[in-house]
Amino acid sequence: MEPHLLVARHLSKTFPGQVALNDIDIAIDAGRTHALVGQNGSGKSTFIKVLAGYHQPDEGSEAELNGASFTLGDGEAAHAAGIRFVHQDLGLVNILSAVENISMGVGYTTRRFGRIDWRADTQRAKDGLAALGFADVDVTVPVGRLAPSQKTAVALARALDGWQDHAHLLVLDEPTASLPGDDVERLFEAIRILKSKGVAILYVSHHLDEVFEIADDVTVFRDGRRVTTVATASIDHGGLIELMIGHRLERANHRSSIRLEGEPRLEVRGLEGGTVRGVDLRVRPGEIVGVAGITGSGREMLVPFITGQLPSDAGEVVVDGVSIPNYDPAATIAAGVAFVPADRATLGVVPFASVTANLTLADVERHRRGLRLRHAEEVAECLEWIDRLSIKTAGPLVPVASLSGGNQQKVLFGRSLRLSPTVLILDEPTSGIDVAAKDQILRLIDQAAVDGAAVLVVSTDTDELVQVAHRVVVMVNGVIAEEFSGAEMTTGHIEHALLATQKAGTR
Amino acid sequence: MTTTVAATADESGPPSNTPAATRSPRSLVSRLRFDRFSGLYLIGIFFVFFGLTEDNFLIWNGSIEFVLTEKVIVVLLALAFLVPLVTETFDLSIGATMALSLVIVNKMALETDLPDGVGAIVAMLACLLIGAINGLIVVKLRVNSFIATLGMSQVISALIRRIHDGGNITAAFGDRYINFGKGSLFSFTWPGSDTKIELPYYFFYGLLVAFIVWYVLEHTPTGRKMFATGGNREAARLSGVKTDRLSWGALIASAGIAGFAGLIYSWKFGTYTSSVGPPLLFTAVGAVFFGASQLKGRPNVWGTVIAVYCLAFGIKGIGLRYPREIDWMQPMFEGLVLIVAVAVASRQAVVKVTKRRTGAPPVPAPRQVESVGASAEAND
Repeated sequence: MEPHLLVARHLSKTFPGQVALNDIDIAIDAGRTHALVGQNGSGKSTFIKVLAGYHQPDEGSEAELNGASFTLGDGEAAHAAGIRFVHQDLGLVNILSAVENISMGVGYTTRRFGRIDWRADTQRAKDGLAALGFADVDVTVPVGRLAPSQKTAVALARALDGWQDHAHLLVLDEPTASLPGDDVERLFEAIRILKSKGVAILYVSHHLDEVFEIADDVTVFRDGRRVTTVATASIDHGGLIELMIGHRLERANHRSSIRLEGEPRLEVRGLEGGTVRGVDLRVRPGEIVGVAGITGSGREMLVPFITGQLPSDAGEVVVDGVSIPNYDPAATIAAGVAFVPADRATLGVVPFASVTANLTLADVERHRRGLRLRHAEEVAECLEWIDRLSIKTAGPLVPVASLSGGNQQKVLFGRSLRLSPTVLILDEPTSGIDVAAKDQILRLIDQAAVDGAAVLVVSTDTDELVQVAHRVVVMVNGVIAEEFSGAEMTTGHIEHALLATQKAGTR
Repeated sequence: MTTTVAATADESGPPSNTPAATRSPRSLVSRLRFDRFSGLYLIGIFFVFFGLTEDNFLIWNGSIEFVLTEKVIVVLLALAFLVPLVTETFDLSIGATMALSLVIVNKMALETDLPDGVGAIVAMLACLLIGAINGLIVVKLRVNSFIATLGMSQVISALIRRIHDGGNITAAFGDRYINFGKGSLFSFTWPGSDTKIELPYYFFYGLLVAFIVWYVLEHTPTGRKMFATGGNREAARLSGVKTDRLSWGALIASAGIAGFAGLIYSWKFGTYTSSVGPPLLFTAVGAVFFGASQLKGRPNVWGTVIAVYCLAFGIKGIGLRYPREIDWMQPMFEGLVLIVAVAVASRQAVVKVTKRRTGAPPVPAPRQVESVGASAEAND
C-alpha cells in the first residue's frame, strides 16, 4: 500500500476551559475523497482551522504531507506543503469577475510596466474552470451573477490554480451548504475529476447522503476525539449516525411538562421563502419551542422570515390572533414580538453606540418627556439591566463594541426583554459565548416563558434545545419533519432525526 | 502659514511623540485632550498669535464681526451635510440647493412685485421639494445617496441656469426684508473706544438652527435613532427603527437648512453670483469631518461649529499677515488642518483600541473566534 498523503499525529487543541481536539491521529490517502463528519462541537471545524493555520495546536501535535513534516498552525507552511482550502463562504468578491477573483488569489500575470496580461489571465481562468468541468462559466461577468455551483467552481479553481501538477490535499468545508440540489451534482462531478488526477479531498459535511455519494472513506469525530475511520462502502446510514452520536451520556429534558393553556400566542402558517418550504408552528403562552435542523434545512432562515428581516414568499405570521405584515420589523415589534437575531455583529449591535443606546434602541420613546430624551433616567434603567443580567462593562456609556461577545449578547437580550414581549424569538442565542454566560442566558429564556411569553428558540446546539425547550421540532428540507416532547425529547432522538431523515426529503 | 503649521505640530506633537504619556490616563497631556479639543486650542492660538502680531486682527468691524457673520453661512451648509450624514446618507446637493434658494429670492425680488418675504418662502419650499425628491430617489429607487445627490446637484445647477442665464443678480431687496435679517439684536459701544459691537439677526438665526439640530440629534429619541441608523442600519431596522423614513426626513431637513443658508447669504450680501453654493461644498464637508474629530468623536454640531470658526479665524489671520499669498494658502491651510486634526483624533482611538485588545483577558470560549484571534495576536 502506498504511504499516506497526509498524516497527523497526537493533534490536540485546548482552549481555556475546554479540550476541543484530543489526541487526534488521522491519515488521508491520495486520490480518494475522505469525509469528515461529526456533530456540532465534535471538533471538525477546529481541526480544519488548525490545518489552515488559524489555530495553534497544542505542543506535541505533528503532521506530515508526503512524508515531509510541516508546521501546524502556520497558514503559509500548510500552503507550501500543498494543502488548499475552500471554505463555506467561498471568499469571493462578488463584484469582480472570475478572472479577477482567480488572479487575486494567485497574482496577476503582468507584462512590462506592471500591465496586467488580461489575455493570459482570462485563459488561465478558463482553463482552470474547464479542468473542473465548468467550461460554461462566463469568466468576465461579476461572480455575483453566476449560479451557486459556478461560484463554488471559481473558488475551487482559485484554490487549485498553479497546483494541478503536484496536487496534494484539497479541504472542502461544507461546500454544499448554499447549493441547490442540481448544483450539488455538478460539484461532485468536479470532485471526481480532481480525484482522478490524484488529489486527495477532505470533505467536511453535515449531509450524510452526500457523504455516502461522494466519499471513499469517512472519519467520525465525537467530542474532540476521532472515533474511527472506515470505508464508506462498509457502513450504512444508520451505522454512521450511531458512530456520530455514540453512547455518550444523553441529556434528557426533565422539566415537568407544563400545563399549557389558552390559544397559541404565536402561530406560523405555511411560511415559505428561500430554503423554508412551508412551515407551520404554534407556540402557546409560557411554552418554549426549540427548532433544530442542519444547515440548509431552512432552520437558519426561519427567524429572518418570521421577524421581517427578510421578505417571505408565502404564509402568515399571527400573534395573538392578529396577522403581522410581511417584511416589517417595526410592525412585528409593535405586535409584541421581540427577537434576537443570530448574527450579533451585523444584525444586532450598533458597535460604536453606547451600551445604553444599544439596550434602549427598540424603545427609546419610553424615556421621552415632551420632546426631550431623559438621559439620566435612561442610564439608570441601563444600570438596572447591567446589574440584572450581570453584564460586564466598564460602564453604561462605553461603546458596546468594547464588550465581549457574551456580554454583547446579554445587551441584546436586555433590548428584547425590556419590551416585556408576548413572543420572544431567539436565533442561536448562545452562539459564540462562554459557558457561564450561556447558563445565564438559558435561565433568562426560562424566566421569560414563566412570565407568560411564547418563546421560540432556534439553535444548532441540540443540548441547549433539550435543556431549555418544552418541545423541539426538527426541520428537514424546509419543512418540520418531526417533533419531540417529554421523555422522547433527548439529544439522541433529535440528532437521529436531524441526520436520518434527510434522505426521506423528496424535494 | 509656517508659523501656524508649527503651532499645529506643537499641539499634536506631545500625544503622538510620547506614547508613554497617552498610556497614563492621568498625564497632563491626556487631561488637556488635544485630540478632542484641537479646534478650540487652535482658535486660542490664533487669537494670541495674530492678536499680538497683526494690528487688524483683534478688531471688531471688518475682522471678528465679519468672520462671525460671514461664516454662519458655512456653518449652516455644514449642518446641512451633517444631518443626513448621521444616518450615513450623503447629501452632495446642498451647495446647489443653497444657490437655488438665493437665485429664486433674488429673481423674484427683481422681477415681481411680490413682497421679498414671499420670494423667501417660495425659495424655501423649492428647497424642501428638492430634499423630498432626493429622499424619494434614495429611499424608494434605492440609488446610493452619494450618486443620487451628486446627480441632483447637476440637475439643480441646470435649473438655476434655466432661471437665470449667468452673471450676477443684484436685487434691490425691500427694507423690511433686509431688516428681518440684518437688524441688530443688540448693540453697544465697547468702553473706551468707538467700536460699536453688534450682531445681525441672521447670525442668531444660524445659531438657532444649530441649537435645534443639536437638540434633535443629542436630546431626542429621533436623534438617537438617527445615530443608530448610521451606526448599523440593519440592526436599527430590526430593532423597529424606521430607517428609511429617517434618511428621507434627514434629506428634507438638509435641503431646508441649505436653502436657509441661501437666504442668509441674501441678507448679508444681497447678490447672487455663480461662485455661491457648490464651491462652498468642500469647505462645509471638510468642516463636518474636522468637527467629527472634536468633542465626542463622532459627527456633532458644536464640533462642526468650532471647526468652521477655527478655519475661518486661521484664514483671517493668515490673510492679514500674507495678503498676497492668501489665495493659495487658504485651501492649503484648510486641507492640512483637516488632515492633522483627524489624524490626531484617530491616533488616540487606535491607541485606545490597542490597549483594550492587548489588555483583554483570554476568553474561554473556543467558538468566539474573534477574541481568540485577538488574544493569539497579543501572545505573539
